Amino acid sequence: MSDLLAARAQMGTSLAFHIIFAALGVGMPLLMCLAEGLALWRRDAVWMALARRWAKASAILFAIGAVSGTVLSFELGLLWPTFMKFSGAIIGLPFALEGFAFFTEAIFLGLYLYGWNRLSPRAHWLCSFPIWISGLISAWFVVSANSWMNTPVGFKIVDGKVTGIDPLQAMLNPSTPYQTTHMILACYVATGFGTAAVYAVALLRGKRGDYYRKGLLLALAMGAIAIPLQIISGDASARFLEQSQPAKLAAMEGVVRTANGVPLMVGGLADPNTGQVSYALEIPDGLSFLVSGDPNGRIIGLDAFAPEDRPNPLPVHTAFDGMVASGFFALFIGLLFWALYFWRKRVMPQNRLLLLGIALAGPLSFLAIELGWMVTELGRQPWVIYGILRTKDAVTTAPGLNISFLAFSCLYVVLAVTLIWLLLRLARSPLPKVALADSADQSGGDIS
Amino acid sequence: MTLPYITAAVLWLALIAYAVLGGADFGGGVWGLLAFGPSKERQRQLVDEAIGPVWEANHVWLIFLIVGLFTAFPIVFSTLSVVLFVPFTLALFGIVLRGAAFIFHTHSPGALRQFWGRLFSAASAITPFLLGACAAAVAGGQIHAPGGQANISPVSLWTTPFALNIGAMAVSLCATLAAIYLSVEAQQAADTDLMAAFRLRAIIAGALTAALGALGLLLSQEEATLLWNGMLAHALPLVLATMLVGLGAAASLLLRRYQLARVLIILETALMLASWGAAQLPYLVPPDLTIANAASPDATLIALLVSTAIGMLVLLPSLWLLFRVFKSQPAPEREQEEAGGFAE
Repeated sequence: MSDLLAARAQMGTSLAFHIIFAALGVGMPLLMCLAEGLALWRRDAVWMALARRWAKASAILFAIGAVSGTVLSFELGLLWPTFMKFSGAIIGLPFALEGFAFFTEAIFLGLYLYGWNRLSPRAHWLCSFPIWISGLISAWFVVSANSWMNTPVGFKIVDGKVTGIDPLQAMLNPSTPYQTTHMILACYVATGFGTAAVYAVALLRGKRGDYYRKGLLLALAMGAIAIPLQIISGDASARFLEQSQPAKLAAMEGVVRTANGVPLMVGGLADPNTGQVSYALEIPDGLSFLVSGDPNGRIIGLDAFAPEDRPNPLPVHTAFDGMVASGFFALFIGLLFWALYFWRKRVMPQNRLLLLGIALAGPLSFLAIELGWMVTELGRQPWVIYGILRTKDAVTTAPGLNISFLAFSCLYVVLAVTLIWLLLRLARSPLPKVALADSADQSGGDIS
Repeated sequence: MTLPYITAAVLWLALIAYAVLGGADFGGGVWGLLAFGPSKERQRQLVDEAIGPVWEANHVWLIFLIVGLFTAFPIVFSTLSVVLFVPFTLALFGIVLRGAAFIFHTHSPGALRQFWGRLFSAASAITPFLLGACAAAVAGGQIHAPGGQANISPVSLWTTPFALNIGAMAVSLCATLAAIYLSVEAQQAADTDLMAAFRLRAIIAGALTAALGALGLLLSQEEATLLWNGMLAHALPLVLATMLVGLGAAASLLLRRYQLARVLIILETALMLASWGAAQLPYLVPPDLTIANAASPDATLIALLVSTAIGMLVLLPSLWLLFRVFKSQPAPEREQEEAGGFAE
C-alpha cells in the first residue's frame, strides 16, 4: 500500500470508528436527560431505570469515544503534518473551542455517571443538561472545521504565503450552517433509531413490559422528530453544493457530462471512465428539477473539471444513494409507527413486521452517518482543502504508515469486539431495581 | 511580540495541569501493577475508585494541549509529528489502551476483569515513559526544521540515555503523584493500612524521582547542552525551588502531613516543568523553532486566548464541582451500581 493510501485508510478507519461514539455522545445525553426528567416529574421508577441503564452503557461508550477522539487529534499531525502546518492557524480555533465543550461534557459526565449517590436527585438531573448541551456544541465546532475544508475562507494567499487570517470567518465558512445542522440531526436520528432498535429486538424476542415500551417510545420519538428535519437539511445541503462544490454534487449523483435536463439516477454503479451509470433507476429530468426547480436546468458534470481534479463517482454515488435510502427508510418507519400509535389512541403498535423495521432502521441510521461522511470526504478528493491543498501533498514523510494502519485497525477490532460483548452482557443482565428516594410506594420491584 | 509568549505560557500551564492530574491517573495504574502485600486488592480498589470519575476530564488537558499547540504553533505540531512519529504513535496507542482497558476492567467479570486491569496498568506505565522521552527529545535540541520542513534524523532522538532517563523519571513522578493523592484518599476513608502503604510507596517513588532527576541534570550537560546552559543562565531560581519544594514534600510525607504533601508535590511538578520551559527560552523546539518564529498570526492567538478565557469561566467552576463532589469527602456508601461491574 502506498503511504498516501495507508494514511487515508488509517484516517478513514479512525473516523469511521469514532463517529459512532461521537454520534451517541451527542444523542444519548439528551435521552438520559429526558428519561430522568420524566422520572422525577411523573414519579415513575421505570423512567429512572431507563436513565440508569442508559447511563451505564454510556459510561463505556463515552470512554471509547474519548480515546478514539484523541486518536484523531493526534492523527491530524501524525498523518497530515503539511495540512496542519497550513491550516492550524486558520482553523485551530474551533478545535480549541471543541476542546472546552468536550471538557465540560467530560466533567459533568463524571458527575452524572458516578454521582448517583453523592448528588440530590434534582442536582443529578441538572448535571445532564451541560452534557447534552456541550455535546451538541462540540459537534458544531468540529464539523465547522470540516466545513472549512470544503469551503476554505478566512485567509489570503499572497506569493505562496498565508496572510490575513480571520479565524472567526474561517469557522463561520459558507458550508458550516449546512454541515453542522446535518451532522447534529444525524446524531439524534441515529441515537434515537439505534436505541429504539434495541427495544424492538427485545420485544421481538418476547420481552414485555413498561420498561421496553417506554424505552422504545422515547427513543423513537427523538428519532422520528429528527428524521424529517434531517431530510430537509440534506436537501438544502445538496442544493448548496451546486454552487460550492459542483464536482462533489456531480460525483454524488453520478453526473459525468454537463447537460440540461439531467435525469436523477437512483442506485446503480457510476463508471468514471465511460460516464455511464449502469443498473440505475432513471427518473427523467429528476436531478435538474431537484437542484434548480426547472426540469431543463443545467447540471455541471465531472467533465467540467480537469481529470486530476475529479473525485471518483463510483464510491461517492453509491455511498450517497445508500445514505439517502437509509434515511428514507427511517422516515417511513418513524411515520408509520407514530401514525399507528395515534390512530390506535396511544397504544403502541406491536406488529412484528414493524418491530423488525425498527430493528433494521437503527443500524441503517448509523450506516447512513458512515456513508454520509464517505460522501463528503471522498467527494472532496483529490483535495484535502478544496481547491487549495491536495491530499497527496499533505501526507507525512514519516516511514512505517502501513504498520501503523495495521496496528490501529487491529486495535479497533479488539475494542469493538470487547465493547459489543460488554453491551450485550449489560442488555442481558437483570434490570436495575430502582426506587425513587421519596416515594416508597413506587419501589421498582415490578418494572419489567 | 508578547502574545506568543502569553500563549506559550497558557499552553505550559495546560501541560502542568495534565502532568499533575492526568499524570496521577497514569501513576495510579502503575500502583495497580505493583500492588503487593496483604492489602493488595484494596490498593487496587482504591486506585479504581480514585480514577473512575475524573480520568476522562483529566485526559482532556492533553487534548487541549494538542489543539492549542496546532492552533498557536502549527509548525511545532507538524515538525514534532514527523520527527517523533514513532514515539507519538506508540504513546497514542498507550493512551487508547489505558482509557479503554480501564473502562473494560470496570465492567468486565472475573478473569477478564483482571486481564483488562493488568493491561490498563501496563499502558499507564508505558505512556508517560514515552511522553517523557519525547519531551527529552525536544529538550535535546536536535530537532531541526530548516525552511519549515522537518528533516528526520536517522538517530533515534528519543532513545538516547538522556531521553530514556527522563522517560523513567516521568513514570516515577506520576507514581509519586498518585501515591501521595492515594494517601490522602486513604486518610479520608480512614483506612490506616492503605495510608501507610501509599505513604511508603510515595517516599520510595519520590526518592527515585529525585535520583533520576539528578542523573538527568548530569546527562543534560552532554546531551542537552542548550537545556543545561539555559538552566544555569536563566532558570536557576526555579531549579533550586524545585529541589527545595521536593525536599519539603518528602519531609511532610515523613511527618504524615498528607494534605500538605499533596500541595507540595503539585507545586514541585509545576516548578519542574516551569524550569524546563524557562531553561529552553526562547525556544519551543530548539535549535530552530522559537516561540516568536513559530507562532501563528496575532489574530489567531487573540482568538485562542479570548476563547480560553471564556472557556475557563465555564471550566473552572465545573472542575471545582467535580473535585469537590468526588475528592473532598469519602463515598457516602459503596457505589454498588456504578463502581462494581453489573451486579445489580
